[in-house]
Amino acid sequence: MSSRVKRIENLKIEFDEQRILRLIGYKKKSHEIKEPIKKLITEEKKKLEYLLHPASIYTILDYDETNKHPVFKDAEKVALCLCTIGPELENEISQLMGKNEMVRALILDSLGSEAAEEVAIQSDRRLADIAKEMSLWPSKRYSPGYGKWDVKEQKYIFHVLPGKDIGVSLTESCMMLPRKSVSFRINFYKNKKLTTRKNNN
Amino acid sequence: MSKEEILARMGKAIIEGNKDEAEALAKEALEKKMDLIEVIEKGYVPGIQKVGDLWERGEYFLPELITSAECMKSAMNILQPEMEKAQIQTQSKGKVVIGTVEGDIHDIGKNLVSSMLSANGFEVHDLGADVKLERFIEKAEEVDANFICLSALLTTTMLGQKRVVEIMKEKSLSDRIKILVGGAPVNQKWADNIGADGYGENAMVAVKVAQKIIEE
Repeated sequence: MSSRVKRIENLKIEFDEQRILRLIGYKKKSHEIKEPIKKLITEEKKKLEYLLHPASIYTILDYDETNKHPVFKDAEKVALCLCTIGPELENEISQLMGKNEMVRALILDSLGSEAAEEVAIQSDRRLADIAKEMSLWPSKRYSPGYGKWDVKEQKYIFHVLPGKDIGVSLTESCMMLPRKSVSFRINFYKNKKLTTRKNNN
Repeated sequence: MSKEEILARMGKAIIEGNKDEAEALAKEALEKKMDLIEVIEKGYVPGIQKVGDLWERGEYFLPELITSAECMKSAMNILQPEMEKAQIQTQSKGKVVIGTVEGDIHDIGKNLVSSMLSANGFEVHDLGADVKLERFIEKAEEVDANFICLSALLTTTMLGQKRVVEIMKEKSLSDRIKILVGGAPVNQKWADNIGADGYGENAMVAVKVAQKIIEE
């Protein structure tokens, strides 16, 4: 791993129960979840202990070192981050689907999505702290495919960050494997007014 | 147990998502040499229809829908060999070719739609994930499909849905074979823009859209 690329350590995944239920299909708190489904959720959650292997790497570049994409405009520095929960959970989902255990597969898929989001949130917070240590103002995190940052810019992220170090690769169609992986940028600004992040004090 | 009681219990097993009961009743129907068309159409089908109603009323959610669809599939798997032996055919609601488009290996959403369509009486030909665009059309022509369902979970692979619609037009197949699209980045606006015939926001909506197009 290049010395410019660093790893975020001690990632601990905590679940937001309500978000998981929303992902599974229960959109409102008032929705009644039947006992057999509750049992399945509990059983699949137990598997997470050995299915989740979170990892996150990042690098921080000066604006001039980037490919100067318009989305980096006005940034003093740009943090690029790549994180994942590893391939084991997806392998288990494939096995469940192979056995026609579709509800379990759906539940595990939702737990995996939430876990990947949680790894991204924690990575985002650490990078925001680093920005502040540099006396810079961090933007919100943005992933390729959102706004003016085309999903094809994944190729740039993978050019800068060695995805293989944490077992993440990119397909021709710019899909990350394992699928439960997240990549994003945070712009670090000198001027507080440029930041899009709330509660930035 | 009378025939009517067995049929009622079949429906109930599907509604409650009771796979063991649904399978046991299918075996009982075979042992009692019941009319298998009647078993499906008056036993299990009303159950899955009721599940659809409960979903529309906001009383059932995706996990319940899938559980019921799985029960239906299990019961059908028991009845199917006997039906094939006796050359009994149920009336299919329509033939569907489904898959996730080339370059995209997301398959859970597509599998859910596939399951729900199958449980609701459609003959489903699932091509899997990362399917070459031409393959959808070849298969649809081969089985004389009513629909092609295209799933895409990436903004890059969504373009594959557009391309299939274009190829269908070029081949003058658009009137005969309808295109339904779905996937996380897909919405009704995208479906309209590319000229798809329908958009399924989720598995049950996909079934409803397919049913509506068939009725028209």
